Amino acid sequence: MDRQSPASGWFETLARHRVALAVLALAAIIVIAPYEALATNILIYGLFALGCNLLLGYTGLLSFGQAAFFGLGAYGCGLSIVHGGLSVLPAIAIGVLSAIGGAILIGAMVIRSRGIYFSMVTLALGQCVSALLYEADGWTGGENGLRGINAAHVNLGFFNVNLLNPTQKFFFVLFFVALALAIVARLLSSPFGVTLEAIRENEKRVVACGYDAQATKWVVFAISGALCGLAGSLYAVHLSIVPIDIVNYHSSGLVVMMSLLGGMGTFFGPFIGAAIMLLLEDVVSHFTSHWQLIVGLLFIALVLFFPRGVWGTLLSYVRSRA
Amino acid sequence: MTLDLFLLQTFTGLALGSILVLMAIGMSLIFGMLTVPNFAHGAFYMVGAFAGVVALRLTDSFIAAIIAAPLAVGALGMLVERTLVRPLYGRGVDYPIVLTFGLSYVMVEVIRILFGKEGIPFETPEFLQGAVSLGFGYFPLYRVFLIGVCVVVVGALYLCLERTKFGLVVRAGAADPEIVRVLGVDIRKVWMLIFGLGAGLAALAGLLAAPMRGVTAEMGIPVLVEAFVVTVVGGMGSLVGASVAGLLVGVVMSLTSLFSPKFAELSMFALMALTLIVRPRGLFGRPGHLG
Amino acid sequence: MSDVPIMEVRDVYVQFGGFTALSDVSIAFRQGELTSIIGPNGAGKSTFFNVLSGSVKPTAGSVFLKGEDISKRPQHEITRLGIAKSFQITSVFPQLTVLDNVRIAMQGMSRRFDMWTPRAAMKSQIDEAIAILDRVGLAARRDRTAGAMAHGEQRSLEMAMALAAHPKVLLLDEPTAGMSPEETGAMMDLIVRLSSERTVILVEHKMKLVMGVSDRIIVLHHGEVLADGTPDNIRANTEVRRVYLGEEMSGA
Repeated sequence: MDRQSPASGWFETLARHRVALAVLALAAIIVIAPYEALATNILIYGLFALGCNLLLGYTGLLSFGQAAFFGLGAYGCGLSIVHGGLSVLPAIAIGVLSAIGGAILIGAMVIRSRGIYFSMVTLALGQCVSALLYEADGWTGGENGLRGINAAHVNLGFFNVNLLNPTQKFFFVLFFVALALAIVARLLSSPFGVTLEAIRENEKRVVACGYDAQATKWVVFAISGALCGLAGSLYAVHLSIVPIDIVNYHSSGLVVMMSLLGGMGTFFGPFIGAAIMLLLEDVVSHFTSHWQLIVGLLFIALVLFFPRGVWGTLLSYVRSRA
Repeated sequence: MTLDLFLLQTFTGLALGSILVLMAIGMSLIFGMLTVPNFAHGAFYMVGAFAGVVALRLTDSFIAAIIAAPLAVGALGMLVERTLVRPLYGRGVDYPIVLTFGLSYVMVEVIRILFGKEGIPFETPEFLQGAVSLGFGYFPLYRVFLIGVCVVVVGALYLCLERTKFGLVVRAGAADPEIVRVLGVDIRKVWMLIFGLGAGLAALAGLLAAPMRGVTAEMGIPVLVEAFVVTVVGGMGSLVGASVAGLLVGVVMSLTSLFSPKFAELSMFALMALTLIVRPRGLFGRPGHLG
Repeated sequence: MSDVPIMEVRDVYVQFGGFTALSDVSIAFRQGELTSIIGPNGAGKSTFFNVLSGSVKPTAGSVFLKGEDISKRPQHEITRLGIAKSFQITSVFPQLTVLDNVRIAMQGMSRRFDMWTPRAAMKSQIDEAIAILDRVGLAARRDRTAGAMAHGEQRSLEMAMALAAHPKVLLLDEPTAGMSPEETGAMMDLIVRLSSERTVILVEHKMKLVMGVSDRIIVLHHGEVLADGTPDNIRANTEVRRVYLGEEMSGA
């Protein structure tokens, strides 16, 4: 169907204000969720999934190693606080920079692989980062994780954010998520953003149009790493510890699942996916310890019957009516 | 560090490498033929070990177990291909990856439900206990047996692929599924058999590794990563590559653990990183698979 | 008019494994001409096309653009140097709109890493894209999803995307493949109009189509140049007739 013009229709109007709407919706989570820590977790994992989705849903690159960047962000931030004595904001910056550094390095190795190969290599390299962090136990605490991340206050001069207050912590995290959403929205509406989708659609064609597809993929890999790293940094601040298993492939798989469940290639899907997964886990673990079985079955069901995900299906339904 | 110690450790590496070879060959077959990287390969390995435990309890014969378990898991593999993987052909390369990933979760959890969360101890079978003199030192008989089985299986596979009609179909189908269809062969049956064969090889690897590495529901996860590394180093879709790389990775890991056990696992990642930088298609890979 | 040929291939060999696709091919293309490469199936036309566009690197020999050796340059750079191509098997961005398809092709020349400008506000780019679509007759279709269009329209979109790069050399690989007679006629008219502004190299299977429009025809056979000349030369060439035996000269 042909649209009259890009700006007409209530749907398009909403789409133009998607960042504001998303932030409002996310702010409402603290009311919906059973407890604040879960709400904050949804924000953090939503951000993690946003990074993953940028690669998977928009560029068509399935990485099973994004947890490596989440972990680099978490450990980078945590170590800055524990060993470096830094305060929260600089520590978060260090976390993000660590993740970007890791993404640039790993990206260089991985980006020449196409499709199938890419998923395998990212899984293996993700495990490599996990092993490195595990073995460096003098710094990272190894199996016990990094403990004692004292992130009680953020002093902004004119006011003080008390991170020991769960509600204030939630909004602190929301601030960063809103920032990330604004950046990603801008990116996706830019020429670079549509290039990503073009690569997903037809990489050979993109190259024939004059784009250096490899360089583009490397750049988006680094951006995705930055987003996952930011999520990791916030996680360290949120929990005050960094458990070692956030870096393993279960974590990577979980965030792929959230992207898929929410809807690949949609703006808000990752947060929907994160919310559903975390709320579901919260409920299911009251009844059984075999949560992984549900996750596995969900994966299979999604792939076979519901590949557009929750938000994706909803969006395409609304679009067809608008 | 004496030469004898070096040689002994190299042999240990070959034993470890034999497991990796069986895994990598199974993975390469599935990938080469179906263009599906089987993220459930580690889970089949693990199920193979548990199937072996069951077979051993029923028959009290290790030999019977190493025949029965792979066959049973192979059948499971065929069922999986037929019901879960096949609907996804043509839908894009990512879907089978995510599906097999989810499947691995299901398999691990089902095993946990059936057998509990603790591992199951697995003794080296009596007739394979003890050590054998290799001239430069004594080497566990079981590991010699392991290398032997690997050689026999790889040899048999090679003969099958090179000399039989089935093998011809497999090789042709890997290059171009259309040709095979034109020749009147039902390629889908071949896919099912290949998936089953790959799963069976993984199961055999899991069972053979059991006396050395134990039997737990989580045993498949590190092995999956190892199989990926071997496949990258050897080259996707190449059986020769899988064999050579499997042994290479096994030996490198063993030798590294002599100097520093901490870095043994990291050494295989270093090898993979090196391959990706210097020769991205792997030792024996075909350039096309790079994209 | 400079006498450096706009494109040239020299002593080009292309081998795939044991199979020689092209052997000893040397051709200089003159600026502003419409050259057609024809030949029976398996003659090496596609391989030659791919060598010109840079997606296949010759096993031996060189490719030149305005005297500059481009044999080793990566694909995307060759496009930016001014060679645009259309694909034999339609290759567009199926889930994106027609307008976006063209805009992406336009962007490839200059704004590749712009992460900041909102595309909805890029009025001059949008206007230019619509103008290009107008040339191929797709302006009214610009908001359609590319993959949902009819085959012939997708071929026209391909052409628009090739034009969007403002190429000096336009490479077309069987542009009328799968088109109805009316569509074919329209496409050939378009090609003639385009060739007045730039160099066009056309690979075609059907001899009849190119006879009336080409300045020069090159016939490939078994990977070698069999004949090279004006349509009249080729029409009179007995070797060419022999090679096309079984296909009428007028109906091939």
